Amino acid sequence: MSLHIENIHAGYGKANVLDDVSLQVNQGCICALMGRNGSGKTTLMRCINAVLKPARGRVTAMGQDITRLSRLEIARLVSIVPQSSDTAFPFSCMEMILMSCANRIKAWSAPSSREHARVRLILEELEIGHLADRPFNHLSGGEKQLVMLARALFQDTPFMLLDEPNAHLDFAHQHTIMELMRGVVKKRGVTVLITLHDPNLVLYYCDRVAMMKMGRIVTEGPTEDVMNDRVLREVLGNGIQMEVTRKGRRVVTPMGRVTKNISLLPDTDEESEPCDVRTANGTVS
Amino acid sequence: MKKRSSIILVLFFLFSLFVSLCAGRFPIGIEGIARLVLVGLGLDEAFGTPLHEVQLIFWNIRLPRIIMSFAVGCGISIAGAVFQALFRNPLAAPDILGVTAGSCFGAAAAIMFFSGMTAAVQCSSFAFGVVAVSLAYLLATRSWDTSAAVLVISGIVVSAFFQAGLSVLMYIANPYDQLAQIVFWIMGSFHASSWAKVQTTLPIVVVGSVLIGVFSWRLNMMTQHEEQALSMGIDVFRWRLFYVGVSTLMVASSVASVGTIAWVGLIMPHIARYLAGPDHKRLIPVTAFLGGTFLMLMDTIARSILANEIPISIITSIFGAPFLGYLVMKRREAGVNDELAH
Repeated sequence: MSLHIENIHAGYGKANVLDDVSLQVNQGCICALMGRNGSGKTTLMRCINAVLKPARGRVTAMGQDITRLSRLEIARLVSIVPQSSDTAFPFSCMEMILMSCANRIKAWSAPSSREHARVRLILEELEIGHLADRPFNHLSGGEKQLVMLARALFQDTPFMLLDEPNAHLDFAHQHTIMELMRGVVKKRGVTVLITLHDPNLVLYYCDRVAMMKMGRIVTEGPTEDVMNDRVLREVLGNGIQMEVTRKGRRVVTPMGRVTKNISLLPDTDEESEPCDVRTANGTVS
Repeated sequence: MKKRSSIILVLFFLFSLFVSLCAGRFPIGIEGIARLVLVGLGLDEAFGTPLHEVQLIFWNIRLPRIIMSFAVGCGISIAGAVFQALFRNPLAAPDILGVTAGSCFGAAAAIMFFSGMTAAVQCSSFAFGVVAVSLAYLLATRSWDTSAAVLVISGIVVSAFFQAGLSVLMYIANPYDQLAQIVFWIMGSFHASSWAKVQTTLPIVVVGSVLIGVFSWRLNMMTQHEEQALSMGIDVFRWRLFYVGVSTLMVASSVASVGTIAWVGLIMPHIARYLAGPDHKRLIPVTAFLGGTFLMLMDTIARSILANEIPISIITSIFGAPFLGYLVMKRREAGVNDELAH
């Protein structure tokens, strides 16, 4: 039940975005894709979902070549939670979620009352049952993402792709989404590939991580092994470092200047609070 | 859909049907209608036979006209709802891909070169309407971008081309005869409705409406972003071709029979959405029923209000546009983000 990405080359027109990308994601695991903007994460997601046809290489899910399957067959294997979503018409959350059962009902039929009941169960599972009859476009960004997550869950696929689901979300909602994903993986045994920009979320919630840079996977493996100062600096920028809190938790913090001209921390003469962190090699800072 | 809305809709239909049957250049009262119906059922001896002229007017002029107006209203309104869903734009109208421009050009060409023979005008108008949309579709498929936006741009290009052609025909048309015919045809009218026209238009509208109705729930997914619809298992390109094809046939056959009908395809889906919500499973039947009833009533006004018949598009615009404005205002006042805001 694993996802295999083998030597993918893909792009838009003449611009090549992915250059010989290979990755394997095993069942029941949350694998993060990390990399700076434009590194090819979303393009890779589009190839896995067969929305973009790779120039070379192939994607197989449960042993089936995605590019040779019909849209309906792909939709029974892979679901996606997009970065953001809006709808031109005032659909309720229930109506939005019900759409994803199109992969299992006849073209001429509509969702039955059983499908409605199943949506309500999923909404309860995500603790957003009260949103069922509210118009989707009236929700906050975080609530919308939860509804889109419910829609992907209702699609009931063994593989889930989450494309920056935390974009535009506040701190609490970011953790809510990630905790829910952990619960879903544990309960349903689905395989999740998620693009994230926050390395701390990757450290807290993801089993594996693939670091992407300029259309290639620089390194890939268990999060604990891959996330270190050298890799983070190479992939995300020079001004960040890995530190360990007093409780033994690893965190990624900015050192002051990530890029040449942008300072992430305010320049201040005031003495800062003593910091409870140690760098990854053990020295107290 | 709320029970109250359903009752209002049925009452609106019954009222419009009653007014349409009674009103006209030759008014027929309730008693007259009852007699005509009973005569039709073979019970004339008990109630007395109405005048022969009344029978002729009712069965050969008024009834086919009422059926035509209801069928055309249904077809155009359904096409409007479909195009609004496909292009994710509540302001899309059925003529967005050039069907009306093509049909007008075809009708004008037949008026000029075939002396305005009814069958020639109808055939030419229908054929050019279908050709216009096919051209827009072909043009769009030549682009690397497969999104619906490219199809809209292709529709604008094709519309402009056929409108230019229509302008040329109008420029060279005989101003005392052909030009007036073309202008009157463009403004639309049911005055030439007959059982023959019902026979050519009604089957296409009925089959088209049933097909769209059967696959109406899929339209919900077509309103989503293309990649989202694809990832839910919808073959967007094939379904788009199906919906555009069926809607185009319905609009082309309607326009070919009665000329252009303004506003109905744009406004009726809005009002239906207000009554039934955005789910196309409920929206399509309500749109069809509402569109048919509205056009039936508008045609009755067009043929009854003045001594001379008023082109139908003038009436639909006068009644339709303010009503849409009222709906928008009402929604804004209620503090609800109406779909026009997107």
